[in-house]
Amino acid sequence: MYVIIVGCGRVGSELAKLLSLEGHNVVVIDKEQRSFARLGQDFNGLTLVGNGFDIDLLKEAGIEHSDAFCAVTNGDNTNIMAAQVAKKIFKVKKVIARIYDPERAEIYHKLGLDIISGTVLLAAMIRDKIVESHFTSYLIETGELGVIEIVIDEKFSGKTISELNIPGEFLVATLLKKKHVIIPGPDTKVDKDDIIMGVVKTTSLKKIREIFGL
Amino acid sequence: MRIIIVGGGNVGYYLAKRLAADRHAVTLIEKDSVICAKIAEEEKILVINGDGCDPDVLEEAGIERTDVVAAVTGDDEDNLVICQLAKDTYNVKRTVARVNDPKNEHTFNELGVDVPVDSTAIIAKIIEEEVSFKDVVNLMTFKRGKLAIVRVDLSKDSSVCGKKVMDIKLPGDSVLVSIIRGDDVIIPKGNTVLYPQDDIIALTTIENEQHLLEALIGKVE
Repeated sequence: MYVIIVGCGRVGSELAKLLSLEGHNVVVIDKEQRSFARLGQDFNGLTLVGNGFDIDLLKEAGIEHSDAFCAVTNGDNTNIMAAQVAKKIFKVKKVIARIYDPERAEIYHKLGLDIISGTVLLAAMIRDKIVESHFTSYLIETGELGVIEIVIDEKFSGKTISELNIPGEFLVATLLKKKHVIIPGPDTKVDKDDIIMGVVKTTSLKKIREIFGL
Repeated sequence: MRIIIVGGGNVGYYLAKRLAADRHAVTLIEKDSVICAKIAEEEKILVINGDGCDPDVLEEAGIERTDVVAAVTGDDEDNLVICQLAKDTYNVKRTVARVNDPKNEHTFNELGVDVPVDSTAIIAKIIEEEVSFKDVVNLMTFKRGKLAIVRVDLSKDSSVCGKKVMDIKLPGDSVLVSIIRGDDVIIPKGNTVLYPQDDIIALTTIENEQHLLEALIGKVE
């Protein structure tokens, strides 16, 4: 893939190195030449100094034949503007913008931009670590779904996955048997001390907790 | 009208002052508390200290009831976001943004700003026209550059000198608006006669600008 990254801070440089290592073609744009030092000696992608929403510079960066565009500077509005230029003017297929401010993240998500808000993710992760030991909501963007981890006790031992599923509310996705990951079928049986992970509607979370005695 | 101005620099400050003088209800949003205090002290303008890109601040400024939002900060990306928030989230009818880097004017148009005002290009154009010795001076353009008000200065060689306005064959979509003769402004009528040194102000479409010039001063080399 041909990927353009705007912003060569910690996130941008890390992303550039990751993608470059996987063999993708990476172009990094930053306002400051010295930011590129973060990329290290081994980075073999292209670097361009300038503004991430400068149409001429983006053309020079090859945006017209790029597959993905990520705006990850530390300025929310710079990212918002750059992402919209990529998406609406150059019609890049995959466009991602990083936004710190949760409020603007939500607004621009609704307007159709693909947003990643580190603030929202981190807060949700830390909250889950504090409050919930078996439930995470940060993996899923909508907030309507979460992932719950349940240890099977005697009461449910011997039941099949289809007996555990509740259509519309809860679905078992993976099964951990003695540290082996299994993607279960409807007839797969669970034993005591197995760990199941399932997706759950947040509205049904309380009900699921009661059923499994969490 | 209810108007919110974001950015209390020179542009925002004078804009707010002028609009307030015309009895519009102006609210100014500015990040810097020192500038806010200064403006609030000098002018009878409601000043809010905050980030105009923050929806809470915009709501505090009464964006839900405002008619126009003008984003005139020195950062184009901020001006864009302010206008988009105003338009898409709060349904403000008219959004005006200052364009600092002329390269961004096209982007602003594409991304839904109603009126991008490119101050750099405007000043550059005025200076360019003042220093060049062209026969026609473009005073103002409208409708995204389709229509213009121009000034044509007549010399003694101009073909229309001594003629009546009704005898001049003007190209379509062009009108003579006024004639500046010395210190007088004359609204031309059919029997008004043109003289050398007259400055003619005319309204024309851009494509007819050259024809208008030829009609007034003769064939241009």
